[in-house]
Amino acid sequence: MAYDLSFAKEVYKTSEVGYWIKMCMQCGVCAGSCPLGPHWEHSPRQLFQLVRAGKMEEVLKSDSMWMCTSCYNCIVRCPRGLPITHIVHGLARLAVEKGMADPKQPTRRFAVEVFWDNITSTGRVGEAGLTMKLYFIDGIGPGIQRGLEMKNQALGMLKTKRLNPIPFRSKIKGFAGFKAMLDKAFELEAKKESNA
Amino acid sequence: MARRCVMADGQAASQTILVVGGGMSGLTAAVEAAEVGRDVILVEKRPYLGGRVAQLNKYFPKLCTPACGLEINYQRVRNNPRITVLTLTEVQEIQGSEGDYTVRLRENPRFVNEKCTACGECAKACDAEVDDEFNFGLSKVKAVGNGHNMAYPNRYAMSPEFAKTPEAEKLVAVCPVGAIEPKMEAKESTLHISSIIWATGWTPYDASKIRPYGYGRIPNVTTNMRIERMANKFGPSGGKIVRDDGKEIKNVAFIQCAGSRDHNYLPFCSRICCLASMKQTTYVREQFPDAKITIYYIDLRAMDRYEAFQKKIEADQGIRWIKSKPARIDADLESRSPIVIGEDTLTGVRYADKYDLVVLATGMEPNIAASPVPASGMTYDAYGFLANATTGIVGTGCATGPQDVSGSVQASTAAALKAIQSAAKARG
Amino acid sequence: MEKKIGCYICTGCGINEALNVKTLTATVAKEQKIPLVKNHAMLCSPEGVEMIRNDMTSEGVNTFLIAACSPRVHVETFRFGTPMIERVNLREFAVWGQPDAATDKDAKEDAQALGEDLLRFGCIRVKKMNNPEPFEDPGLSKTILVVGGGYSGMTAAKGAADAGYDVVLVEKAVELGGKVAKMHRLTPANPSLPGKDGLQETGAKALCLAVETHPRIKLYKNARVKQTVGAPGLFDVTIDQAGSDTVERIGSIVVATGYNLYDPNKLGHLGYGASPDVITAWDFEQMAREGRIVRKSDGLPAKRVAFVQCAGSRDKNHLEYCSSTCCTVSMKQALYVIDQYKNEASTCVIYQEIRTPGQLEDFYRKAQNEGVVFVKGDVKQVAANSGGGVKVQVADKLLRGDESMEVDLLVLATGMTPNIDTTDPNVSSNLNLSDEERAKTVLNLDYRQGASLPSLKWGFPDSHYICFPYETRRTGIYVAGPARRPMGAASSATDAMGAALKAIQAVESISRGAAVHPRAGDLSYPSFRKEGCTQCKRCTEECPFGAINEDDKGNPQFNPTRCRRCGTCMGACPQKIISFANYSVDMIGAMIKGCEVPPAEDEKPRILVLACENDAYPALDMAGINRQKLNPYIRVIPVRCLGSVNLVWIADAMSTGYDGVMLLGCRHGDDYQCHFVRGSALAEIRLSKVAETLSRLQLDSARVRLTEINIMDVDRLPGLLDDFVKEVTALGEQPYKPF
Repeated sequence: MAYDLSFAKEVYKTSEVGYWIKMCMQCGVCAGSCPLGPHWEHSPRQLFQLVRAGKMEEVLKSDSMWMCTSCYNCIVRCPRGLPITHIVHGLARLAVEKGMADPKQPTRRFAVEVFWDNITSTGRVGEAGLTMKLYFIDGIGPGIQRGLEMKNQALGMLKTKRLNPIPFRSKIKGFAGFKAMLDKAFELEAKKESNA
Repeated sequence: MARRCVMADGQAASQTILVVGGGMSGLTAAVEAAEVGRDVILVEKRPYLGGRVAQLNKYFPKLCTPACGLEINYQRVRNNPRITVLTLTEVQEIQGSEGDYTVRLRENPRFVNEKCTACGECAKACDAEVDDEFNFGLSKVKAVGNGHNMAYPNRYAMSPEFAKTPEAEKLVAVCPVGAIEPKMEAKESTLHISSIIWATGWTPYDASKIRPYGYGRIPNVTTNMRIERMANKFGPSGGKIVRDDGKEIKNVAFIQCAGSRDHNYLPFCSRICCLASMKQTTYVREQFPDAKITIYYIDLRAMDRYEAFQKKIEADQGIRWIKSKPARIDADLESRSPIVIGEDTLTGVRYADKYDLVVLATGMEPNIAASPVPASGMTYDAYGFLANATTGIVGTGCATGPQDVSGSVQASTAAALKAIQSAAKARG
Repeated sequence: MEKKIGCYICTGCGINEALNVKTLTATVAKEQKIPLVKNHAMLCSPEGVEMIRNDMTSEGVNTFLIAACSPRVHVETFRFGTPMIERVNLREFAVWGQPDAATDKDAKEDAQALGEDLLRFGCIRVKKMNNPEPFEDPGLSKTILVVGGGYSGMTAAKGAADAGYDVVLVEKAVELGGKVAKMHRLTPANPSLPGKDGLQETGAKALCLAVETHPRIKLYKNARVKQTVGAPGLFDVTIDQAGSDTVERIGSIVVATGYNLYDPNKLGHLGYGASPDVITAWDFEQMAREGRIVRKSDGLPAKRVAFVQCAGSRDKNHLEYCSSTCCTVSMKQALYVIDQYKNEASTCVIYQEIRTPGQLEDFYRKAQNEGVVFVKGDVKQVAANSGGGVKVQVADKLLRGDESMEVDLLVLATGMTPNIDTTDPNVSSNLNLSDEERAKTVLNLDYRQGASLPSLKWGFPDSHYICFPYETRRTGIYVAGPARRPMGAASSATDAMGAALKAIQAVESISRGAAVHPRAGDLSYPSFRKEGCTQCKRCTEECPFGAINEDDKGNPQFNPTRCRRCGTCMGACPQKIISFANYSVDMIGAMIKGCEVPPAEDEKPRILVLACENDAYPALDMAGINRQKLNPYIRVIPVRCLGSVNLVWIADAMSTGYDGVMLLGCRHGDDYQCHFVRGSALAEIRLSKVAETLSRLQLDSARVRLTEINIMDVDRLPGLLDDFVKEVTALGEQPYKPF
């Protein structure tokens, strides 16, 4: 049944700033502001109305919230002041928590399988390693193919010094502190979840 | 016009009502109170009365000219010895309480005295031009003039900057009746009055603050108030709605809530813009019978019997209604045409549509927010509108919230009663 | 007091250069036999005015002919404490409007002829003019009747009483308070005020008490108005209180009878009747007021509530208009549910457009923030659930599909209809009500034009005027609150205060014998030479304000205090028996005939322009101010309204030798601009009948034309006049020209 608010209330409560969804007036500015707008299955506005309509599956199984590049255009322009970027990230996270996010969703794979390890291992992004890992995520064949497709871009970036070709980088200064921070964050999150 | 602070038939000064603002609200309040038999002093900071409505081409829903009702009101002012009009005048300070206020006024110099016959010789001889505030900067006007062709009082005034120049001195000799006085100085005066009606109206929201819409940056993005002036036959383009390059207009978009209902700008709804844009579609239709018109809106707010007006406009098959607040406007530099970008919320389609002209339906910024009542103990709302909590000083029209003309007139008629009640209390 | 005329010709502003003032002076003194004529180089200067004032004391001048500039300027300057003043607009018409007269000899001659004719008109007018004696009646009352003791009525009553006026308040119920007193809470009037964003107490109790105990308010509860006889200032209102009649003498009336709710039984398509759990917003309000929000079917808590907007409003099969308050009422009521059931509440508003104008947008935000969900869509189907509550199918416009929801209560936000009888002036059967029907009306007016107030649209007796929202067709009777236009409590309070002011203004004006808007302050009113009346009833039928009743024999019974001084009756009367002290068929006729019409061989046509003084005259005046060339052959006579144009003037013009007559007046029809409602429309009808008369005189009917004009037509006006002059001249010689 639509507009049963149990899902909406769950979202309002659990996902970071989800309660802001209540305030959306369905004007559509967010969709028009988003540089990736046309690639979303549901625009943020639509996601919000779906949440309010109680359409849990349609929301959490959609790949819309994985499209966000955190450019913050929508937040700046939203006439109701909704922190859209954060809400959308919250929805993505809820989808993962509920096991409803598609494990093959490329953004998600990049985040979970590539980016996280890359950045936490040294404390900084190793661009070459990151790229390599992303290209070869599905095996050697597709990796080579992707690499060739992007060859010109890569060379161009190299030439203009926008890409560091050295795959391995040293850890940041004070890496231990960084690690401690991460551990603490994990601990807090776990506590929050067990409370919820 | 001689100033009479103690009034015609000796009504005690303490029963006099001061009306601040000479637009539709102030005019109405003044005239309605005076026709009951009260003495009224009406002060206006511009050189002429009429306020915002004087700048409008037509009223919704009747599509009649505001000049008609203004003329009647001016007639009522002229014929009523109980009303004293002070133009170019601002209220400096209010002290006292209901029934017994002392008000300090400042009358800014007009640089043209009471002898002026509005013959126009000075303007003919004057080469200096200033921005035409009446036409929202769409044109220039002579530095001495009567404001606009239906101005009341029809007396010339000189721009203060120009008055300082030697050219102004030269005009002294030009005037056949000796009315030009570039050395005229501001005058201060003090009044004793019983109650005050505050009717200082509104200013169109500055569209250039709405950065994503590119007003002032992107060609052929204009505002609703500019359209009013353009469509007015005595306006800067002789009544033609025009692009900056004079190219034909075939496709016009109106963007509602441009700066209204938006926490980045004005969070409230400005009430009139939906109906104003609907009205302006008739201007476009009249001039460009085949033009396509698009209205981007969030909610169409044609309250009560204005619904009939919406129905009337909806009958125009050439109008597209899109429930969407556009996210931004891009410029197509080659065609000098704006591209409106957003999501149609009823279809989910993301659009990027090019128009010959885009009209931003900008809202109302209360003047009172920038210039509050110079008295203590006033209450304002979150946006600076005056709360009607204080007796003795009564807000009306757009000083208290966004209003249409009828609503302002209603509220001002009501305000006249409140002011009279204060006077009745003062009488004991 | 004997009339002593002084004529003052100003020679400033180019008058002396453009016109031969000596000849003008002679026209007045010799030809028109007004011996006291003076010139002044700047009549509006203190010295000029002083000259006139001196004549008042030394010569006893009490009637003033000021031949100078437009009557639209220097009104204050030439104010001598009497209405016996006439302005001759030499400057705008004969000088500024003849810009080529300075350089062209013929044009100068034409301008001179024009100036002389204008002066002749002025002379004749002042000679024919009498000082209007204001209408007086020892029985005039300043008491204000308020009909309806709801929020609007109480506000109006208290408003007038607090200003020092006696008020009679009639309420049909046993107690005051109306609908607002039966409400749980009110929507905030301005939710953007600090601390005022939430639901507000109605304040009805305090208001009732204030009204009940007000020393100036006389209260009739459990009462109704049985009959209203008479006219403003002199209304005799019979009040029936529980079967016993009292007559009150009343000055003016505020009608605040409120609204009715649209009949929900007509809303089967929205589920009304499908289940006891489909209820109206009013019933929901009562439930909330009583305390527990429950399902009607089984009394279980109603935590899931949906509200349907525009239930019967904005619907061509029901009420075509927007009832204006339903959006915020539903938000308010959704907040009741949330207030009662907190986190368990689930509320949703099914809407077309959310209409929260002005600062009410903050109330929309508040409702959202509290958790109310808004669904843009149409209710398609409503069915009772077996276990109580209803299942609603909605065509969801934002989700683009049909959605079903289950709710405990479905609340229909029904619209409002005016609780007042109105007359559609276009349906004559409304005028002939049976006694029984009359008894049901709110005021039961003894007006020849009907017992009810005229309707504007959809049964609301609202004003047609944007700038003058209290101007209707019944002088001294003002409607306030939702009886006149759909509105909520906050707007009603403002509206009621405004209506009370207008009611006060009416009694004050009447007590001075003065007219109310638009001829505010005018002391003249029509008098009837009864012995000449043929009982043709034109005046009684045509008066836009229903000022004239008829006796059994069809004789007109005039009510001066209902009159707005437009002169429509004067224009209607074929016997020319109706006139004002300072405006009459005879006066204008004499002015028309007073024009010096040149013989045909001079080839100088003359066109009479009868111009409405409200719009057409200012437009002509502004054309002059703009130095646009006004056709020098036109002779303008301002009239109070085209409705006052008597057809005999056209005959007068033709027999005097004018080549044509042009009537310039306001737009008529649905969006009429006429300040007297029907004046220009009536002139049009009358003119359509003039062709016959003209053909009898062997004149082409094209010699007479009515042109609609508004004040902004300044630019096209000179062209219009030129074209008419050309067309009329092309018709050939006018046979009645002087030799």
